Amino acid sequence: MFDAALTTHQRRLRPDGLLLFALLGLMALGVAFIYSARAAHEASALIAWHKQLHFRQIIWYSLGMIGAVLVCLKDYRTIARWSLVFYWGTTLLLVAVLIPGIGAMRYGARRWIDLGLFQLQPSEFAKLAVILAMAQFLSRPQEELRQPRTLLKAFGLMALPFLLVLKEPDLGSALMIVPPGLAMLYVGGVPTQFLKRFMGGGAIFVLLLVVSILFAPPKWQVIKLEDYQKRRLLVYFGMNYAPANATPAERARALADQRRDSYNVEQAMISVGSGGLTGKGWRQGTQNALGYLPRGVAHNDFIFSVIAEESGFVGSLFVLALYATVLFAGIRIASQTRDRLGKLLAVGVVTLLFSHVFVNIGMNIRLMPVTGVPLPLLSYGGSSVICSLVAAGLLQNVHLHQKSL
Amino acid sequence: MMLFPQIGRQDPALRFIALALVAGLAVLLVGLWHVQVVSGKRHLEAQQNQSMRTLRVPAVRGQITDRHHQPLAFDRPVYHVNAYLDELRPHFQQEYRRRRTPGKLTRAQVSALEKQVRFNTVSNFVNQLRLPVPMTLTEPQLHWHYTNKLALPLPVVRDLTPAQVAVFMERGGAVPGLDVAVASSRTYPHAAAAHLIGYLKRDDSSSEDEDSFYHYRMPDFVGRTGIESLFDQKLRGRAGTRTMLVNNLGYRQSEHMSTPAGAGHNVVLTLDLAIQRAAEQALATARPDVEGAVVVMDPTNGDILAIASAPTFNPGDFVPRIDSDAWDRLRDPQLRPLILRATQERYPPGSIFKIITGLAALEAGGLNPAEIFSSPGHFQLGRRTIKDTAPAGNYNFRRAFIHSSNTYFIHHALQAGPDRLTEMGERFFLGKSTGLLPGQEVAGQFPDRAKLREGWAPGDTANLSIGQGPVTVTPLQMAVMTSAVVNGGKVWWPRLVDRIESPEADAVNPVEQFPAARLRGDLNVNPKNLDTIRDAMLADVEDPEGTGRRAAVPGMKIGGKTGTAEVQRGGRNVDKITWFVSFAPYENPKYVVVVMIESGSSGGGTCAPVAQKIYRAIQQLERSRSLPSVTQVNR
Repeated sequence: MFDAALTTHQRRLRPDGLLLFALLGLMALGVAFIYSARAAHEASALIAWHKQLHFRQIIWYSLGMIGAVLVCLKDYRTIARWSLVFYWGTTLLLVAVLIPGIGAMRYGARRWIDLGLFQLQPSEFAKLAVILAMAQFLSRPQEELRQPRTLLKAFGLMALPFLLVLKEPDLGSALMIVPPGLAMLYVGGVPTQFLKRFMGGGAIFVLLLVVSILFAPPKWQVIKLEDYQKRRLLVYFGMNYAPANATPAERARALADQRRDSYNVEQAMISVGSGGLTGKGWRQGTQNALGYLPRGVAHNDFIFSVIAEESGFVGSLFVLALYATVLFAGIRIASQTRDRLGKLLAVGVVTLLFSHVFVNIGMNIRLMPVTGVPLPLLSYGGSSVICSLVAAGLLQNVHLHQKSL
Repeated sequence: MMLFPQIGRQDPALRFIALALVAGLAVLLVGLWHVQVVSGKRHLEAQQNQSMRTLRVPAVRGQITDRHHQPLAFDRPVYHVNAYLDELRPHFQQEYRRRRTPGKLTRAQVSALEKQVRFNTVSNFVNQLRLPVPMTLTEPQLHWHYTNKLALPLPVVRDLTPAQVAVFMERGGAVPGLDVAVASSRTYPHAAAAHLIGYLKRDDSSSEDEDSFYHYRMPDFVGRTGIESLFDQKLRGRAGTRTMLVNNLGYRQSEHMSTPAGAGHNVVLTLDLAIQRAAEQALATARPDVEGAVVVMDPTNGDILAIASAPTFNPGDFVPRIDSDAWDRLRDPQLRPLILRATQERYPPGSIFKIITGLAALEAGGLNPAEIFSSPGHFQLGRRTIKDTAPAGNYNFRRAFIHSSNTYFIHHALQAGPDRLTEMGERFFLGKSTGLLPGQEVAGQFPDRAKLREGWAPGDTANLSIGQGPVTVTPLQMAVMTSAVVNGGKVWWPRLVDRIESPEADAVNPVEQFPAARLRGDLNVNPKNLDTIRDAMLADVEDPEGTGRRAAVPGMKIGGKTGTAEVQRGGRNVDKITWFVSFAPYENPKYVVVVMIESGSSGGGTCAPVAQKIYRAIQQLERSRSLPSVTQVNR
């Protein structure tokens, strides 16, 4: 009876089923392939079940879903009013993570705050915070958006977390803030010439930067990237490590370094490629099991190559289809909502998820340089999973609480 | 769903975003299509190569045999019990689950328990076989194998006897994961001719013309000295490759032999094992811990029939590896058992050099063998008195030779002059290597003409004529010299390797033959003078007064010459090198036997009895071999 009342009076108060279905599909795949990526190791069978990563991933999914449901309880307009609190809160965390003693150093970068039970990655939450804050900021009257001062403020909102994440250093995560920001500016109605200029300037800057890194002698380089970032770029562009004037010994060492650094990418390519059309079957992949795909990354950054190896092009297609469903469900939600805030939120979330998917899968097939960008919901990792699900919750929220016509 | 028209009509910006997403996903789709479908095969090949493990399987090393195909070195099959970890894996897991105590374990505890479980499982299974030999495997060995060579079988009990193999065949079926595998082990029967055969050292590296990349290598050996080293490439054969496909855990899944190993070639030596053994035994009886050498050579063609060197060693000790105690003993700076004393050490020849002095003087024409020379029992050269073991008295050539009179030979050497003496030595190639075993031979020393021109005194000629002073030789050089004297003047290149036989019957060149009787030079001397020397040598053994009389064997006409050289250090005699060079039979020489013993009492007293034992053995051997039926059986 109560149900019936709900359906008749508030027919729109049902979550987007397609979106929900695609998310559940991705989560199921995530558990299955994290299990596969880890099960290959002799020792993993001997680890207690509650400590195994696929089980822990289920916990993260559960926490993320709880978060998503909580997000849906309140109207997104109410939530958006708190966006600045959230924004400054994550900014504080981003500052904190840089402080030795608070931020844990791993692989030469401070990206995590060790909370004992799990490691918080503030940059993940920062992406979400930027989207919320931008949506709130841009949902003002369109005339104001034409003023350069407003625009500058909007860029400032993006720039602060961008620079803090860059400082960790985590160029990949920092760059993930840019596409949603730009998309929201565009959809929000900022004059296109501003955006064109900004993007044109950015493109020229990046081009110059890459050219200077790849070709200029070290002392000419105005902006210095971290060594590992530079090397990843060199690998991506297939350039020699050794400078032209290197001695044979230096050349040999550089070549050895290069082999080591391009190893991950090559092995990921082999994994993906050897899957062929239909794959080798679940848990039958050898690349990861034999340790060619480094064991430290197979279940997170390179989970896609495990999926692609074991399920082939068909599996890759299925994964892409699930993401496409999520993304276009988001676009549909954006188009159906009547207010700017809801549309901006949806566009921001959709662009954020898309950027992750594109960069991560692209990196597995050498379309993109290697960065530590996770594949939403499939890569193992608490912060990433929870943020992705909360972002999806925001989409549902916009869908649930849109103003009916 | 009517998605796009709807969006398009309402909001161009959103439509643009949607198109961008479509474009992005399309790029990924095309990229994945390209990687997985278009070039999928290439990647699959790359991946399969990565899942292959290659194992280098050394070939069976060729045999080294004597001239009658009696083995001196061969690969003996040995039987090991191997554990196959892929088959044992379920049992490891079962055992782990059984022994795992509830509660938390640290990572270190887990890995320690795993190691223990694996070892216990393997040793339990081995115990179930109830073989009367203990397991040779230790826990660290197992762990090392597990981490480094997971795909390979692991030997757990080594070197089973045939009876034990039978026991395994009876009980092994009930025990999983264990099987008997055959391997080979280098064996040296009697450790005969150890120095000539040489020894092996563990070396798993690839030879130049074969694949250099392998994941694993089975133990292989390289020859370090002797024939094992000289013909290592031939003996080793061609290593084979076994490839294994490993599953996604690194365990062996299937395996096949992609290149079978090509067995090594057999090397047939000119040695006669029976004579070799007789020579070694005879040398060993000279005195305890004797240091010396024996060379037995065929004077008709230069073939080496036996070379013994004492002290000796057992090449079998080097397989699979020599323990450090044994190695230390072999490196004893005094005894130096690894030195081949027949070629690797220089010795003053002493009185055996009088053969060359006599020949030079006879050729010069100043010496009439019948002429009587009156010796005062010493030689006075200016103010220097050279003592003589031969007493004062009248000597013709024969008497001077069998008493080894220094005075007589110094007198005639000075008469002939140093040029004729050194020129005769050069015709025997003294001071030059014989090339028998490169790397295990010294050339010896002999004065060349340049040396004669600067600061050469009559005293040097006197010393040289009795085999002292600026001349050193090897026993092998003395065998070549003796051969030339008794065979009519032909100086041979000595020959040790008769032929190399291919293991495959249908090979293009089944046999690589090394020519016998390679003439190095001719003495170009009057045959009458050679007869004079030979007669004197016969008398040295047969005459009751001869210094070599203790070499006499009834029924065999043996000729010889003894020598006792003083080793001087700082003007004092510190040691004696004793010699006996000989040949037999007198009429038709077929054997030259040279015996050299360091620190002996005299050539006649120390070395002649050794030669006598060798001749006696040869005599018996010839008698037994002349009976055809016995010969057949021996083959």
